[in-house]
Amino acid sequence: MLSLLIMFVQCKQQPKAKNGKKQIAVVVSTLNNPWFVFLAETAAAKATALGYDAKIFDSQNNTATEGDHFENIIVAGFDAILFNSTDANGSVANVMKAKKAGIPVFCMDREINATNAATSQILSDSYSGAVAIGTNFTQQLRKKGRYVELLGLVGDNNTWARSKGFHSVTDNYPGLQMVAQQSADFDRNKAMEVMESILQAHPDIDAVFCGNDGMAMGAYQALVAAGKATKVKVFGFDGAEDVITAIKENKVYGTGMQFPKVMAETAAQFADEYIKGRRDFPQKIPVAVELVTPKNINDYIAYGKK
Amino acid sequence: MIAIQKNNTLNLARLQSLIALVVLCIIIAVLSDKFLTMDNGWNVLRQISVNICISVGMTLIVLTAGIDLSVGSVLALCGAITAGLLKNGIKLPSLDLFIGFTLLGSLLAGIIAGGALGLFNGFVITKFKVPPFVSTLAMLTIARGLTMLWTQGHPISNLGAPFSMIGAGWLLGIPVPVWIAGVVVLLAIFITRQTRLGRYIYAIGGNENAAILSGISINKVKLIVYGIAGALAAVGGIMVTSRLDSAQPNAGTGYELDAIAAVVIGGTSLSGGKGSIGGTVMGAVIIGVLNNGLVLLNVSPFWQQVVKGAVILIAVIIDKGGKKK
Repeated sequence: MLSLLIMFVQCKQQPKAKNGKKQIAVVVSTLNNPWFVFLAETAAAKATALGYDAKIFDSQNNTATEGDHFENIIVAGFDAILFNSTDANGSVANVMKAKKAGIPVFCMDREINATNAATSQILSDSYSGAVAIGTNFTQQLRKKGRYVELLGLVGDNNTWARSKGFHSVTDNYPGLQMVAQQSADFDRNKAMEVMESILQAHPDIDAVFCGNDGMAMGAYQALVAAGKATKVKVFGFDGAEDVITAIKENKVYGTGMQFPKVMAETAAQFADEYIKGRRDFPQKIPVAVELVTPKNINDYIAYGKK
Repeated sequence: MIAIQKNNTLNLARLQSLIALVVLCIIIAVLSDKFLTMDNGWNVLRQISVNICISVGMTLIVLTAGIDLSVGSVLALCGAITAGLLKNGIKLPSLDLFIGFTLLGSLLAGIIAGGALGLFNGFVITKFKVPPFVSTLAMLTIARGLTMLWTQGHPISNLGAPFSMIGAGWLLGIPVPVWIAGVVVLLAIFITRQTRLGRYIYAIGGNENAAILSGISINKVKLIVYGIAGALAAVGGIMVTSRLDSAQPNAGTGYELDAIAAVVIGGTSLSGGKGSIGGTVMGAVIIGVLNNGLVLLNVSPFWQQVVKGAVILIAVIIDKGGKKK
């Protein structure tokens, strides 16, 4: 009886994939957005390159689904989790479950509001990136003008981090007047439709700030249809392929380049070092968001630097 | 006799959505001087074209007492199929074969794919007696997954100027999507009013057993109806893709709910047999005007969702009240 129990415990402690490789799980908030697809695929590719079996889990923007994934990952005995959270607060409990089970969690891009749960957090500094955009935005408009802001999902942390960072600069200039602030759910089509309606009410705007690049492309398309694309400066956030191309062609003016490749590869590297014995990881590593405009566009490619 | 009664209730329902629409327009026009302009009118019509295409298919299905939850995903998949074929064609390296597609070829392929997915819905519903709610719910997930597989999660962009005409072009002073939606609506009105198929659709929704007894091949009618809805979702998908010049993997999420809302606001009964295409068009216009008006008035995004839900409720309650009298 006792030996049986010991055997069982041993089995549980040494879980390995069938081919003997250790396993790393990549849990990503959504695969419905190319940016996150890129983040997840890069993390999985780096883990594979380091000699692990990598598997991607899609939380579908749902913290409960994410919780199910964590439970399955714990039962299946993965060795580390590369994690992109659905919610800064809601995901903490999921990470704690993994910590209790002895599985290290490395957060990528999105922060969780706890410093004792994840082994390390490699985070995109959305707020500072939006401050940089706000500063450039103010310069481009020469501190005077009428603009529109398109927000992402109103229940999303990143939406407000970006909006607040942007407004922390622009609100200091009374000459900058925000004539409309609307949500387009990070969605290209919705951004186009919302922008079309806004242009009816405010045909004489000077610039648009969008919470992500998908919305920037949608807003740009609406401006083209209205024949105002050359007069209105569009700013996005992400550094996605379409917008990088659009900045090169002088269609969109600027964006905040995030570095999903750097974040994903650092997280995979950390997981590898953890499994090999390292324990002294910094709790938070901020990855700067860089301002991309026509002036420095040649240094950048989609999702990163050349 | 029965036919005459049915027509009366139909007209009443349509009148009520018309009144709701007029009231809504007056309120918005009073609050914003930008609402009643020619530009904004085209704007609203262009934006609702996609929903009208989907809602027309949905109306036919709801008239048979069915429902189709898969239209949003089918829209995304067919838009992506058209975009992918147009841009990349099909490569078969193992056979050393490359098949390129012309604009017309990729459009047809997208619409045929939509029709096939719709027929598959109808097949599962009629052959295995799976309730439409369940079988189309399954298709919602399947088609979204297939879209992800086809696009690998990345948008397919830069599809060329001729393709952009479909969503962004103008023809004789009217936006092309409005032409497409108009043709779809006229065809659907013709089918429901003038053809045997139309009468069968109403008969099945009114009383399925009676329809069987009177010799109507209900399986065939349902297959056709779901097939049409799938093909119309594909048309919507092509329009969305063309307008954005990009097939988005997550396009059309939640569109089934907008379509059902348009059908219900338009006075079509979810239990089948009663309703009209005209009512649905009215419902779609109401939703479009509401979306447009709330943005024109710069209503907070938090409140917009509350207002939209409330308007749907009010429209349906007024509609119910009118029917009782």
